[in-house]
Amino acid sequence: MIKVVAACLVGVAMAVGLAFVGTNVAANVGSTTEPVNEPLYNYGDR
Amino acid sequence: MTPERTVRETAGPSRPWGRVSRWAPWLSGAAAGALAVGPGLAPGLVLRYDMVFVPDPPLSEVILGAGSGFPRAVPSDAVVGALGLLLPTDLVQASLLLTIFTLGAAGAARLVPGGAVVPGVAAGLCYVWNPFVAERLLLGQWAMLLGYAGLPWVVAAATRAHRARDLPRLVVSLVPAAVGGFSATVLSALVAVPTTVLRGRAFPRLWRAACPVVLLGSALLVVSLPWLVPALGSDARTDPAAVDAFAARSDTPFGVVGSLFTLGGIWNSHAVPAGYGHPFLAAGRLALALVAVAGWVWLLRRFRPDFGAGLTAAAATGFAVALVGVVEPGRELLRALIEGWPGFGPLRDGQLYVAPLALLQAVGFGGVARWLWGEPARASLNERGAQGEPPMPGVAEGVPFPSARPRRPWARSDAVAGPVAAALLVLAPVVLLPTLAWGAAGRLAPVEYPADWERVRHIVAQDSRPGAVLSLPWSAHRGVDWRADGRTVVVLDPAVKLFERRVVFNDDLRVGAGSGVRVVEGEDPLSRRVAPLLDPERPYEAAPDLPSRLGELGVRYVLVERAAADEITAATGGADHSGKNMFWGDLPGVRTSHHGDDLLLLELPDRHVDAESANLSGLEVTGWLVTVGAIIWSLVVSGSSLVPMRPGRSAGAVSREESFK
Repeated sequence: MIKVVAACLVGVAMAVGLAFVGTNVAANVGSTTEPVNEPLYNYGDR
Repeated sequence: MTPERTVRETAGPSRPWGRVSRWAPWLSGAAAGALAVGPGLAPGLVLRYDMVFVPDPPLSEVILGAGSGFPRAVPSDAVVGALGLLLPTDLVQASLLLTIFTLGAAGAARLVPGGAVVPGVAAGLCYVWNPFVAERLLLGQWAMLLGYAGLPWVVAAATRAHRARDLPRLVVSLVPAAVGGFSATVLSALVAVPTTVLRGRAFPRLWRAACPVVLLGSALLVVSLPWLVPALGSDARTDPAAVDAFAARSDTPFGVVGSLFTLGGIWNSHAVPAGYGHPFLAAGRLALALVAVAGWVWLLRRFRPDFGAGLTAAAATGFAVALVGVVEPGRELLRALIEGWPGFGPLRDGQLYVAPLALLQAVGFGGVARWLWGEPARASLNERGAQGEPPMPGVAEGVPFPSARPRRPWARSDAVAGPVAAALLVLAPVVLLPTLAWGAAGRLAPVEYPADWERVRHIVAQDSRPGAVLSLPWSAHRGVDWRADGRTVVVLDPAVKLFERRVVFNDDLRVGAGSGVRVVEGEDPLSRRVAPLLDPERPYEAAPDLPSRLGELGVRYVLVERAAADEITAATGGADHSGKNMFWGDLPGVRTSHHGDDLLLLELPDRHVDAESANLSGLEVTGWLVTVGAIIWSLVVSGSSLVPMRPGRSAGAVSREESFK
């Protein structure tokens, strides 16, 4: 019985996750900031 | 014919499902790699931070470790150079990146007891598709990731290392770490030592562990010689200030501890996948990590794998090391250690050490899938031959599968729902970290080098006289937009890898922190001697002696990346014409060897240049010969490689032979 519950939970979670990814993350993928036109480029920023 | 053989032949290799199960982890890893690297597999070279590949990479004594700096890129650059003799460089790079995913997934899958396909694939995907891999990939640390991919193989080999004849197998398992170099070997040691010592028991008898530990130490030493020998002879140092710059940071809503527990927390905010910190996805990854740890506990209790205590200890130790730099007393301790001995320098990058936890979570995740998938009855783990599988490495003998369950009304539902849930669960790592896909959402894109780079390399290569190349602007990293798509990629100065001869560059590392910049002093003593000569406050009137001063330090060529220098000049309002960014081409005796759109190559007067060829010492040559010889010998003696071989015709179905059999 517990596996039936687990399967339902996993299925719902995956469906919600996929829906979220499809609607939110994919739309904002290009919004990551990259350093541009810096006089000296850092190895990175904390 | 032995009973076992009879059973194996009965089980038969002719089952198509047996072949699928054999190759599924490899195929899923390769598919994950193709999905993650994505556009990076196209022609061209992917550049990003530490990931610097150049066309036709050189293979010279400098690349093999000759010189005074710390050999961070030894032997990885040499391996790339050697492979570059056989294949186009972009194919070499793509192959190495795909190897990380394929090897890691297949190795993690093997550690899940039982041999079922889906749990193995779940473990494999969890191991190669997680924040640790994503962030390190975005930082360009492919060589370290190669060692990371080898960790499960190291665990398997360390578990089985009992006597001298097991040494070749141990050495073979360390080949990825040997290629990866310093950081990769440190990670391997972190995993292998506890696995060896604690094998099969929580409280080992030290005398019984002594022989395997000696074997392991020998194997680690042998594969480390190419970088260890020059490192011990170098005058490199580590700046204690790096502790603050490279300490783990929070990149989720759960703070630093939560970020590290979910395998994130890298110090560089630009190495974090897009949308990574979103609360929904972060919560999902936290749940996945917790479930995976629960699965690990279940595996330990159910199967008692011999590597269980060791991997647990390695993960706990690594997590503790990662946490040390999070609090001020810990940072003070690290600074004191590094000041006392630069060899403690690797501890500055704490997040690196969550790698064993990643393996633990991956195998635990596979355990969850294993539990959901269900367990076959009437067999023991060490009779996996009955299922067409080799005996499971590191699983305690005599541990039985649970007996067939009594019939229950919902048993049939369970029998269907469990595998369905397990199959769905396999995709959870990908769904929860979607922006690793397709080159981390386009951030791993290939570029073509401007033609100037090949021209200056050709010019310098034609000159047989010794002497280093000084690379300007005096900054370790460049922002390149060679795709002309407006997306600047920050990368270590490619000139560092372009020439067969020594390249002097500013290896100080600038790390943005808050509104300021923290500078971590570099490790190369020659760079420290050159830097004062390029002082921006130095007036032009004092410059005429610059060629002779540089020549005395062994510099023959000065390479100026014009676009970067112009950018700096423009950013400083045209005021900065100092040697840090440009070089006075009209200085006495200085000759322009190449003046292109992208690069300016100047040659200093030969009379000033006091340089010797960078040659490997006898000890360094010996180290290389020992390492290469030991690896070849181990491959031959162990009779296989990391790649599983096809079963022989007479072996019937089963006899899958793998290196760690």
